[in-house]
Amino acid sequence: MKITALLVLKAAPETSDPVILANASDVSHFGYFQRSSVKEFVVFVGRTVASRTPPSQRQSVQHEEYKVHAYNRNGLCAVGFMDDHYPVRSAFSLLNQVIDEYQKSFGESWKSAKEDSTQPWPYLAEALTKFQDPAEADKLLKIQRELDETKIILHKTIDSVLARGEKLDSLVEKSSDLSMASQMFYKQAKKTNSCCTIL
Amino acid sequence: MQARHGHSSYRDRTDEFFGVVETLRRSIAPAAANNVPYGGGRREDPRSTAVMQSEFNKRASVIGLAIHQTSQKLSKLAQLAKRSSVFDDPTREIGELTAVIKQEISGLNTALLDLQAVRNSHNDERNISRDTTTHSATVVDDLKNRLMDTTKEFKDVLTLRTENMKIHENRRQRFTNNPSKESTNPFVRQRPLASKPAPSQPAPLPWANSSSSSSSQLVPRRQGEAESSPLLQQSQQQQQQQMVPLQDTYMESRAEALHNVESTIHELSNIFTQLATMVSQQGEIAIRIDQNMEDTLANVEGAQSQLARYLNSISSNRWLMIKIFFVLIAFLMVFLFFVA
Repeated sequence: MKITALLVLKAAPETSDPVILANASDVSHFGYFQRSSVKEFVVFVGRTVASRTPPSQRQSVQHEEYKVHAYNRNGLCAVGFMDDHYPVRSAFSLLNQVIDEYQKSFGESWKSAKEDSTQPWPYLAEALTKFQDPAEADKLLKIQRELDETKIILHKTIDSVLARGEKLDSLVEKSSDLSMASQMFYKQAKKTNSCCTIL
Repeated sequence: MQARHGHSSYRDRTDEFFGVVETLRRSIAPAAANNVPYGGGRREDPRSTAVMQSEFNKRASVIGLAIHQTSQKLSKLAQLAKRSSVFDDPTREIGELTAVIKQEISGLNTALLDLQAVRNSHNDERNISRDTTTHSATVVDDLKNRLMDTTKEFKDVLTLRTENMKIHENRRQRFTNNPSKESTNPFVRQRPLASKPAPSQPAPLPWANSSSSSSSQLVPRRQGEAESSPLLQQSQQQQQQQMVPLQDTYMESRAEALHNVESTIHELSNIFTQLATMVSQQGEIAIRIDQNMEDTLANVEGAQSQLARYLNSISSNRWLMIKIFFVLIAFLMVFLFFVA
């Protein structure tokens, strides 16, 4: 359940290459010498996929051991590199959020970008770390998970309530026995008290 | 004349000939095959009503002819509508033809109504024999039935046409994949998600094999779309077709997740109500236990008071015994007095 990289690109019309607007990648689990090549690979594949994603479309591509998810919205394209276990829906909601955030913070300035921007965008980097857990990105997943936990807790509660019911039943029996016994006791006491003529 | 009574070589059929000529003259103006049954029955009409009947006749025949022509045009329209190829769509012709047929049918309707009114007015004005009235009624009914059949056929053709247009629309969007695909999304979302089949894995393979992407393989996952019309063109359009199902599967997966959440919440509500029921039942049990304990308490207190009284009585018996002793001693004294 790992995100390896997140990219924001400007998907130019079909002929030219997309322009990278923001890039965040987590290459810590590769060896030191492979990191730069992995970065290059990420950039290249991201460009290819973004150029092939038509506007207002989502696309998922399998490349070696990564799934690349791309979402193109009116020319602004977000690409994410995830492994196979990452649920697709959370991936796309994450890309949605990234694009919304980018539009909020950079407005329309990305439309005029002509070459790859090299400034890091801190939001993307922290998004990368925050959304390693897919539940964070996808609210639906989070809600579903919480509901399942609640259901388990409720099942346990019902079991304990059933046990309580059993104990209450045994208590009721014992208390009824006790009241019977006390009634006999009272009668006996009254009997010994009534006939006082003897002795 | 004499030749008629005898078994002569010729028969004088002049009158018949005249009758036929008259019939033909009446029926020659609206020349249609439909006219013959109407014209034929009129041969014995008395001259006084012949004019009226022939006018009725003419109108009926005109209407019959028009109905026939309309049904011919309708059959042509049906043929055009059945041609369901995407590229050669004669939409304009179909539209024109539809308009023409609609006009004709409405015109025929009004003409038929007029005919009926005319016939009714004739029947009111003059003394017409029962046969002619039944005949004219039959004629009008027959025309009405034919018009109804034609209208029904027209409706069928129109429905067929709309279905074909729908199929064309779908095919066109799969080929060109323009942004007007929102119109198909309602079609997709309306399909009940509960019946969403398991993803058909064999289907992706032919698409994956023939896709022409260079460095990456397109993997169309989750292909549960039963709506896909047969693909006519390869690679490029296949990629775009995978786009549309993927978009739809994304939407579908979101909708499915929402449904799951909703059903989970339902189950939770069930569990809560069960819990509440059980707890209320157990509350009742607890109340019974409470009553039992109160009874026990009352009994034990009563018993304790009894025992206390008994204790008192036991401890106070000595007084009685002392008194009894005194009485006994008094008796002994009396006894001693008597004996001694």
